[in-house]
Amino acid sequence: MPSNGSNSAAAVWAILRKECRSEWRTRYGLNAALLFAVTTLTVVSFSVGRLGNRTDILAALLWIVLLFAALASLSHAFVREVEGHTLTLLRLVASPTSIALGKLLFNLLFLLVLEVVTVPLFLMLMGGPPLSWGPFLGLLALGSVALAASSTLVGAVISQTRGRGALFAGVSFPLLLPMLAAAVSGTRAQWQGDPVGAEVRILAAYTAAVLAVSLLLYDHLWED
Amino acid sequence: MSGNLVVMGVALLVWGLLFLFLVRLERRMKELEKR
Amino acid sequence: MIWRVLLLVWIAAAIVAGFAWAPLVPVLQETTRVFYFHFPSALVTVIALAWSMLHSVLYLARRDLRHDDHAAVAAELGLLFCIGAAVSGSMWAKAMWGAYWNWDPRETSIFFLLLIYGAYLALRTSVEGVERRARLSAIYSVAAFVTVPFLIFVVPRIYDSLHPDPLFNQRGKADIDPRIMLVAFAMVVGFTGLFAWLLSLRLRLARVERRRLEARTTGSDL
Repeated sequence: MPSNGSNSAAAVWAILRKECRSEWRTRYGLNAALLFAVTTLTVVSFSVGRLGNRTDILAALLWIVLLFAALASLSHAFVREVEGHTLTLLRLVASPTSIALGKLLFNLLFLLVLEVVTVPLFLMLMGGPPLSWGPFLGLLALGSVALAASSTLVGAVISQTRGRGALFAGVSFPLLLPMLAAAVSGTRAQWQGDPVGAEVRILAAYTAAVLAVSLLLYDHLWED
Repeated sequence: MSGNLVVMGVALLVWGLLFLFLVRLERRMKELEKR
Repeated sequence: MIWRVLLLVWIAAAIVAGFAWAPLVPVLQETTRVFYFHFPSALVTVIALAWSMLHSVLYLARRDLRHDDHAAVAAELGLLFCIGAAVSGSMWAKAMWGAYWNWDPRETSIFFLLLIYGAYLALRTSVEGVERRARLSAIYSVAAFVTVPFLIFVVPRIYDSLHPDPLFNQRGKADIDPRIMLVAFAMVVGFTGLFAWLLSLRLRLARVERRRLEARTTGSDL
């Protein structure tokens, strides 16, 4: 099927609005994701308790909770289309890149909503030293973009396979590893008052690389 | 010293067996390709 | 045929040289010799990965399924060598430092190569359709190619944070006896030759299988 659909920012915006609207109608995905994130957080807090100034464990746990929430919920962006058979229709009106970018922005928005709930809850439950707001939010933002970008690409690939959630997580993890390590290291440094420049640079470069390669690869995603 | 020689002997033996196995694979490949 | 005999002799000679000619590293004593297996394995792992990823890119550019064969076969072989490197490294670590696994930078890197291989091969087995499988796994391979180099920058940080006092000194580059490096280099060449041989064998098998499949679906006699 030729991908000669619209390639413009308008198409991306339209796809984003459509995603938001269909998600908002049922809020099924969002509810499930929030429930999952809160559950994971509860398990962690319940088993470990307040961590005071164990900044290394705190940083790791925060990102593990976010990673798990992303892996559990972001795989569905494309699966929904495949199962509802709406993908063919979409591809008639928009290019693969526009579709993917629209979904990427939606995934990012989804993650941000998730984080607005999860991160404050984490800080309240787990304790921890005061934040260096700038570096902390910067790392969170970069990490979220990286998570969204990677999950969109992998999600699109997985939606055409027989595997689903487990395969999505297993396949995403090696790609996300550098990002996870940099984010954890940076978050810990931020709590200890150390500079986070190196981690931010790595995260930024990583995110840019994933976005760039995604843009090149989206066109190859669907060719039947 | 002799312990070393034993290990070396084992290594050479393993390599030799692997080599023979691969040669046999080659022969079988040639057969498959001819058919 | 002559190449195979040459390979046989080459590796055998390297093994003998490693045990009878090259000296021991003072710190490592007898365990020095694991190096002659561990180091080439790790290097071939990376070579195989590079080969696989190169052919993934070529497949996406040219849509020739032979590139997909190369990508898939190189990944399978790379996984084998990676397991060899990880296991030999782990046993060496146990002998030297008392722990099978330490998440030091080298161990971490090998482990994540293992994950990449595993993810790639798992992805391949879950896709139906030859062209689709080739295309999707090639996409993943290219994405991995972009993200894996970041591990090089990030891995030392993980280690430094977990082990502020390193358990071992990264082997000083200054003092290794050139004879050891020579044997190690010879083994690298030998292992690469072995990889090339295994690759060609597996590729021929894949080609035969595909020809059989085509013949069956087009209904011709074989």
